[in-house]
Amino acid sequence: MARIILDTLSKQYPNGVLAVDALDLTIADGEFFALLGPSGCGKTTLLRTVAGLENATGGRLLSDDRDVTHLPPGKRDIAMVFQDYALFPHMDVADNIAYPLRIRGEHRTQRRAKALETGTGLGLENLMDRRPGQLSGGQQQRVALARAMACQPSVFLFDEPLSNLDARLRLEARTFLKKLQKDLGVTTIFVTHDQAEALAMADRMAVMELGKIRQVGTPAEVFHRPANTFVANFIGSAPMNLLAGETADDGLRIGGFTVPFPHDSPRLPPGTPVTLGARPEYVDVVGTSTPGAMAGTVTIVEYLGATALVSVQIGDERVPDGADPVLGLTVQAMVAEGTEPQIGARIGVTHQPNRSLLYAADTGDLVSGTGSGTGSGTGSGIPGSTAATVSTTP
Amino acid sequence: MPRTAVATDAAGLGRARAGGFVAPALVLVGLFLVFPALWTIYLGLTDYRLTGLAAAAPKMVGLQNFRDALADRFFLNSLWLTLIYVAGSAIIGQTVLGFALAWMMQKVRPSVRGVVETVVLLAWLLPGSVVSFLWWAMLNRRDGTLNALLDTPGYNWLIQHPMLSIIVFNTWRGTAFSMMLFSAALQAVPPSQLESARMAGANGAQQFRDVVFPHIRGHVLTNTLLISLWTFNDFSPYLLTAGGPNHKSEILPAFIYNRAIGTGELGYGAAISLIMLVINLIIALLYLTLLRTRKVKT
Amino acid sequence: MTATAARPAAVPLGPPPSMVVKKFVSRVLFYVVIALLLVFFMLPMLWIVLAPFDASPSLTIKLPDFSTGNFSELWHNPYALRSLLNALIISLGTMALVLVFGALASYALSRVRVPGRDALLYALLLLSSIVSGTAAMVPIFLLMTNVHLIDSQLGVVLVMTGGLLPAAIFILKDFMDATPRSYEESAKVFGASPLQILRHVVIPIARPGLATIAVWALVNAWGNFLVPFILLRSADKYPAAVVMYTFYTEGGQPKLGLISAFSLMYSIPVVIAYLVVSRRYGFRFHGGIKS
Repeated sequence: MARIILDTLSKQYPNGVLAVDALDLTIADGEFFALLGPSGCGKTTLLRTVAGLENATGGRLLSDDRDVTHLPPGKRDIAMVFQDYALFPHMDVADNIAYPLRIRGEHRTQRRAKALETGTGLGLENLMDRRPGQLSGGQQQRVALARAMACQPSVFLFDEPLSNLDARLRLEARTFLKKLQKDLGVTTIFVTHDQAEALAMADRMAVMELGKIRQVGTPAEVFHRPANTFVANFIGSAPMNLLAGETADDGLRIGGFTVPFPHDSPRLPPGTPVTLGARPEYVDVVGTSTPGAMAGTVTIVEYLGATALVSVQIGDERVPDGADPVLGLTVQAMVAEGTEPQIGARIGVTHQPNRSLLYAADTGDLVSGTGSGTGSGTGSGIPGSTAATVSTTP
Repeated sequence: MPRTAVATDAAGLGRARAGGFVAPALVLVGLFLVFPALWTIYLGLTDYRLTGLAAAAPKMVGLQNFRDALADRFFLNSLWLTLIYVAGSAIIGQTVLGFALAWMMQKVRPSVRGVVETVVLLAWLLPGSVVSFLWWAMLNRRDGTLNALLDTPGYNWLIQHPMLSIIVFNTWRGTAFSMMLFSAALQAVPPSQLESARMAGANGAQQFRDVVFPHIRGHVLTNTLLISLWTFNDFSPYLLTAGGPNHKSEILPAFIYNRAIGTGELGYGAAISLIMLVINLIIALLYLTLLRTRKVKT
Repeated sequence: MTATAARPAAVPLGPPPSMVVKKFVSRVLFYVVIALLLVFFMLPMLWIVLAPFDASPSLTIKLPDFSTGNFSELWHNPYALRSLLNALIISLGTMALVLVFGALASYALSRVRVPGRDALLYALLLLSSIVSGTAAMVPIFLLMTNVHLIDSQLGVVLVMTGGLLPAAIFILKDFMDATPRSYEESAKVFGASPLQILRHVVIPIARPGLATIAVWALVNAWGNFLVPFILLRSADKYPAAVVMYTFYTEGGQPKLGLISAFSLMYSIPVVIAYLVVSRRYGFRFHGGIKS
């Protein structure tokens, strides 16, 4: 078991691409940690650098207090499960699981016994003589896990552990992996591009973009208080509504409407350009004349089972004060099944101020709860949430 | 920033060890392939001979060998015959027959396919001197099988039709390569694309033109290049006709052998070899250009 | 289509009869063409199957008057067996060199970035198609004379290896490229050394490709006529390819009994090698030569 510390760790490729850009990060002992981001954000490179498959070009990597930055992979006490599992096709399951022990020079009978023991723990005891080609995707994954466990490393690395499974199996594997990690208690870092996976499995996660970490936090923190519009847009099964507007004395001006400030917003001079962030889950459908509502026309209703996602095109002839209707401004609202309006209906939408956030228009950074003496730093709980529960619709 | 510790390649070889892995192969290739090719250039400029005065002290004769070659009626004849041979046996014979076989084998039972492919492959696999003899026997004047079949006793195919004989011979011998290449290429054509074309109402020829051909175009080019080069440099017709009768089937390899080793004019032979190398190079460059335009298009 | 017709009772479902006939005829023609092609390819080979067992073989293909006399003649011919042994030495030597050097080089080239690698490989491949043929016979002859490797089987092996290596590296590299790197990386994370990775992972996984190249090199060297023909002088060093040629070109009436038995003995190893590879790995292009 080990704590992993990244100290201004960088990886620059010979062609100049800075895939990992001076990252500082501490992953606690026993933590299940997700690296999340779109493809090309550097998450896989970071994982491979931790594994030792890529050379760090700057900074340090510590495992507990040991500097492992320039150690070869085999000396880092780390095991990795690859995206394609990398099971050796010419070895049977037992030999695959026992491979790390073979490298350590253990005797064949001994290591096959240990392989059987590890494999049995994962329900592989009847498959020990099979070749990887004869196994299902889920079985292959468990063999790869068993092989990683066989050498009892202090850190596990999983590269996109669920991407090679079909949708149904993926849900099962998610639960299975989380339980396995808790049972073993081994520090685990996994890479995924699927925010739902990261939210569901990780104890904490880092959201990456272009080689940088844009936010670190627990799934709840990242979901409820995205530190910037990039994270806000990336996290959530339906992306957060990000509505451009500007501040006024009596609220936010958005698309010709005036809506209330989110709670714990700092005092900003009137006319400051900002972005309002409101999750569709926290947007309510109301009558068009409700105070603080934006009126518009329902364009699309997506049925999601227990809920429905309603897209509303904001603006119409009844925009107050003759202001120009803003074209292309769409707000999405998540409503309970059965309460969704008809397409073409005229409705109003309101955001819940206690669950909405304010971002600076230029930097995209969160300004809610950061200014005017509110004092609570980012990532310290959920703003104004009394009964907020994390709802992740897969 | 030079870091020493971890090699970045997948296996952790590192540059030095990788260099060590490549070195033996490069040395052998350099010594027995690149160096002779370069030496050909030098030799072509001398009057080097296998025996006699010029063997002991060859002297530079500049471009004399090349001037001689261009005035040499036998060389020009040989060049012409080589072109016919390559066009006839490689481009027409092997490519067309190879493709036809690959195409037809898609539509037959696996057992039939197995038999046909094995037989065609055997023709390719058997040692050159054996198949030369087999064809020599087939075409023999006295009791060759062909004469027995056609009831033309005493007809000497190798004398009457030497070029046709070696063209058919080489087609027979080399078709397997084209067949296998094309059959691999045809298997790689996505069935969904063929089905889309069929849904759109394309007939067989249109399906071939719009779906199959674009997929195998690269293979066709590769195949044509390789078998053209191989055929161009192929020595085995020599085993059948030795270039005869009276230079009628003396394609370039046979010509070079007869002049350089046969009559000992090494310098002249090298000059002809050089001309051959240049022609090969032109074929290769032509092919690369075609391949590049294809890549630009896609 | 048939729905609107005033149902003349006997309209069969399916295509009209003329099309059925057409389809049948084209199917028959199709198989006739295949049969003709099969005859074309098989006819010359029949001789080598039948004549060796004929008591009095002629050049014509005919059912044999069974006898094993030709093989005992082969057994007593001083050159025949010797030449098969020579061919074995030369082709095994060539195979070993091509396999070892080709595998090492292709693996390193596949895994370590070298600028200009692909262009170099392509140039070498083209050069080998050109030079190992006849265009370089003069300089190779002179080179081997000067380094005193003329009339030496080692010389023959080295020249053949040099000629075969570029294509071997080209094909093997393609094969190695197609092998996911995660196999090696996985072994590396578990602490395997480069040589362990090679032994435990790369070679077993590349085995089909290596086997194909081994047989390919073996068959090529076994059948190569020109190189030993130019480089060897003494009859007792000739491999089978050269002896086969001398059997039917030198000294008057060819001894057909001897030649037929010899051809068969000389050809069988190639066929066996093919069968072994095709049985175990499928004789296909392993993505070796593609666009």
